[in-house]
Amino acid sequence: MPHLLAAAPGLWLTAVFVAPLLLTVALSFAHPGFGDVTFGFTLDNYRTALGGLYAQTFVQTVVLAVGCGALSVLLAMPIAYFIARHAGRFAGALLAAILLPYFSSFLIRVLSWQVILASGGPVDSVLHALGLLHAPLDLIGTRAAVVIGIVYGYLPIAVLPQYVVFSRIPRSTTDAAADLGAGAWRRFTSVVLPLARPGVATAALLTAVPMLGELVVPQLLGGGRGLLLGQLLQTQYVQSQNYALGSAIAVLILVAVGVLVALLLRLTRGFDEAPR
Amino acid sequence: MTRLRSTRAALGVVCALGLAVLYLPLLLSVLYSFNQGIDGRQTARLTGWSLRAYADAWQDDSLRSAALTGLQVALVVAAVSGLLGSAWGYAMVRHASARVRRALAGLGYLLVIMPEVVLAVSLLQFAGRLGVPLGFLTLAAAHTPMTMVVVALIVRARVLTLDRRLEDAGRDLGASELRILGDIVVPALLPAVLTGTVLAFTFSFDDVVISAFLTTPSVSTLPVYLYSSLNYGTAPAVYAATTAVLALTIVVLGIAGLLHRATTVT
Repeated sequence: MPHLLAAAPGLWLTAVFVAPLLLTVALSFAHPGFGDVTFGFTLDNYRTALGGLYAQTFVQTVVLAVGCGALSVLLAMPIAYFIARHAGRFAGALLAAILLPYFSSFLIRVLSWQVILASGGPVDSVLHALGLLHAPLDLIGTRAAVVIGIVYGYLPIAVLPQYVVFSRIPRSTTDAAADLGAGAWRRFTSVVLPLARPGVATAALLTAVPMLGELVVPQLLGGGRGLLLGQLLQTQYVQSQNYALGSAIAVLILVAVGVLVALLLRLTRGFDEAPR
Repeated sequence: MTRLRSTRAALGVVCALGLAVLYLPLLLSVLYSFNQGIDGRQTARLTGWSLRAYADAWQDDSLRSAALTGLQVALVVAAVSGLLGSAWGYAMVRHASARVRRALAGLGYLLVIMPEVVLAVSLLQFAGRLGVPLGFLTLAAAHTPMTMVVVALIVRARVLTLDRRLEDAGRDLGASELRILGDIVVPALLPAVLTGTVLAFTFSFDDVVISAFLTTPSVSTLPVYLYSSLNYGTAPAVYAATTAVLALTIVVLGIAGLLHRATTVT
């Protein structure tokens, strides 16, 4: 029985996750052909995927993911801190309220920004009414819209891990720092933040990593123009049907994910070790 | 003390603003679902109130069949990930061999950091190479890795707090492994399993990326249908349909919350 409990999910995941992933890795080294590939070993796909326009897209995507990830984590930090340390008995309800949008459809949440940011929409109207703006504002199709949409989409999941670490820091620790004369800011930067490192890193991981493959937001708010890796990948599979090149791009996305994860793990390294 | 209070107030304001920013778009999309629009198109300016969008959405046969298919897929996905994900989460903590535990946990971490689009293209290629025609079952199977890991991680967190001595006591008293599972482990894990299963359902029903690659013209889901219809301009019906989905999601999550409370108290 104990073996069955491990074998059943293990075998299923091998079939629907591990094997498809290995196939993609194998395809990335194959010779591209017209709508099909011949297996073999070549680095040509990677050469193409790392050259010219593709390289530019790659850099753009990484910059966007890291930037938006950092922005989400920073915006979520005061929210998580307030819920963990000041909300008292409302903490559970507040956390649920923050997370609820995350569990509702991603499509709805992105879609509503389409009207909010469009010309004649609420943002435009309010800015006009305040006299801050005189030309019609249409943010749809701009990079700003993509950034807003992405940060909005991932904000709730950036709050959760930071909430968990903030709520585990004993009050006596910060009280001790206060007794020793540390002000609020000093207490936060030299006591709370170092202790909260694993949660901050997890929040960065849960936001920046999926952003590397983001597909829906740039399509709906970026006008489908400002190409990101996810869209490039979709184009290779659906339109160009160059599966070998597509697979190489997929593997490169995974490499970027791996590098990001390794960097974030370094941030928390030494945390679980006993103090010397 | 006053400084502490003002920091606290400032943080409270930030938290309130955060909540407002999170909910305003949702409320607006509900509001716009009642917008009349111009010539059957959604407009950023509110042009008048109407329920026509709801009637349009209801009468759209492909929208209805997509919603129904999505519902069926989500039910199958929830059942499979509830069972396999729970077994996975349990084995991650309790399996006798450390190597197996590490491998199972590693698979979980890999899935958590896997961008959906990479998994989607891999599954599409895999099905193509094996010659499996895309359809209902391939779509449901494709959803399972992402939803199983959600169930597994929630169940794993519960198993970690479960006193191992309870299972050992059962074993000492001569209970079979099956009996230990049925009488001790499953009842203790049930709230976590149910919560995970409901989340798996909503994840599957709302999924866009994996579904976009693995649906076919005849087997489509609601988000994919809406997503592709957006290429032809936004019809108010889209907002009506998403509002209905939002209402359904809130009901399902509400039920999950109540179930969680009911099963954890006893």
